[in-house]
Amino acid sequence: MTRRFLLLLLLPLFFLPGCDRLGERPKLKIGYMNCNNERETYQRFAPISSYLSEKTGAEFETVVADTHEFEERMKAGEFALVHTNSLLYIILKEAVGLKLLAAEKRGAFGTHTAGALIARKGSGIEKIEDIKGKRLIFGPMMAPSGYLAQYDLMLAAGIDPERDLAYYAIPPGAFKHEKLVYAVYFGDFDVAAAPVLDLEEMTREGKIEADDFTILAQSATYPYCTFGAAADLDPALFAKIKAALLDLGPEDTAEVDGERLKVLKTSWAEGFEDLLDSDYDGLREMARRANMPPYQSY
Amino acid sequence: MAKLSCAGRLWLLLFLATAGLVALFAFSPQGEGPARSSALDKGLERELARQARAAFVRELYAPVVELRDSGQPQAALLKLEELARAYPGDPFALVLRAEILREMGRVDQAIHHYARALRLNGEYLDEQGPFTRRTEIRQLVEEGLATFLPRFQAHPDNRSLAATVKEVYYLQSRLAGGCE
Repeated sequence: MTRRFLLLLLLPLFFLPGCDRLGERPKLKIGYMNCNNERETYQRFAPISSYLSEKTGAEFETVVADTHEFEERMKAGEFALVHTNSLLYIILKEAVGLKLLAAEKRGAFGTHTAGALIARKGSGIEKIEDIKGKRLIFGPMMAPSGYLAQYDLMLAAGIDPERDLAYYAIPPGAFKHEKLVYAVYFGDFDVAAAPVLDLEEMTREGKIEADDFTILAQSATYPYCTFGAAADLDPALFAKIKAALLDLGPEDTAEVDGERLKVLKTSWAEGFEDLLDSDYDGLREMARRANMPPYQSY
Repeated sequence: MAKLSCAGRLWLLLFLATAGLVALFAFSPQGEGPARSSALDKGLERELARQARAAFVRELYAPVVELRDSGQPQAALLKLEELARAYPGDPFALVLRAEILREMGRVDQAIHHYARALRLNGEYLDEQGPFTRRTEIRQLVEEGLATFLPRFQAHPDNRSLAATVKEVYYLQSRLAGGCE
């Protein structure tokens, strides 16, 4: 009788490890598109991962990935969430059924941005037709506002970038967008494919003046960087993440490596908005016209 | 005559306004009782300050308006960024930004910036004011309702559309004379 009673007392101990597992938070990875460099990208976005961990009950790890790696790593099931440029959102939606979570707000157009073709003021290049036979510098090839938008602008003006320019180049290494603005400013190139957001920020910071450049052409606006979720992400968790992103305000903080940081300020974002997938249709049309992924055909 | 820089012209304007104020004090009628004289002085002081401010704002943002009117909206936005370094948070900059963004097709941002400007300064609704934007705001409300209300009704769970529609209603209420 006493032995049975002792066994009964010990019985709950068998379930304790199971209780530990129940208390475990799901561990998920967020893939952030590498912007200028890996270190800067990590420092910018780790507070967002930490904030989402605090708000949703899941544990998010920050992973910085290069643009061309996302499709493969999403197909391998590595990332639950991704934060990428809007072209990559479109590509991943086609490839793996990425679900739209929220769009980042930054700059004059809010959730949207644009690409421009610029020349140094006084260079004699006054309109887009003048760029034939000139030296042009693009941003990264998968950048909607540093490559795609300008490629499309040239095609619309009857200029074939592959034939009608003296030559074009893409700057190496980090800080490509700033490099191309300076390349035109200092005369190494005649025309640059500048993201409007970078022009805006460089003007705000006093690196350039509004009168330094002539804007030869500018694209229509389309969504800026976007948070997407894997198609198989738990719908309840998806809803929690979306609400947390939309609620994120300038005073919200999160802990990273023992330090409490303002999430939006650190990430350079002004907030997140709830867009519709149809808001990306203009960019889809641009990619089709420029024969860019995911609509590329040979 | 040497051409004055923008800052030089602004200083000249301020100097003239101050000189006007001093002249008014010096030549104001005497002997009509201190209370009446003081009230008159204050009224004139207010009016002069209002006129000086209006002239200053017009002069300050003239390059932005010039760029916008010559069909260079992005350059106008960049000029606003440049001016914001010295004059951050100026509500008239928000008004100009709203107008330019509307012309560029970002109606949601135009609504947002007009709402921010009106929360800081209600004079843009004053029909007799030097910077009245009453007609523009009324047109924007009509456009906002036509554009965003059907979208919001089709997607009632969309929080951003809900926020934009709320801002349109805010502008509408200010046009109707409602308080904050």
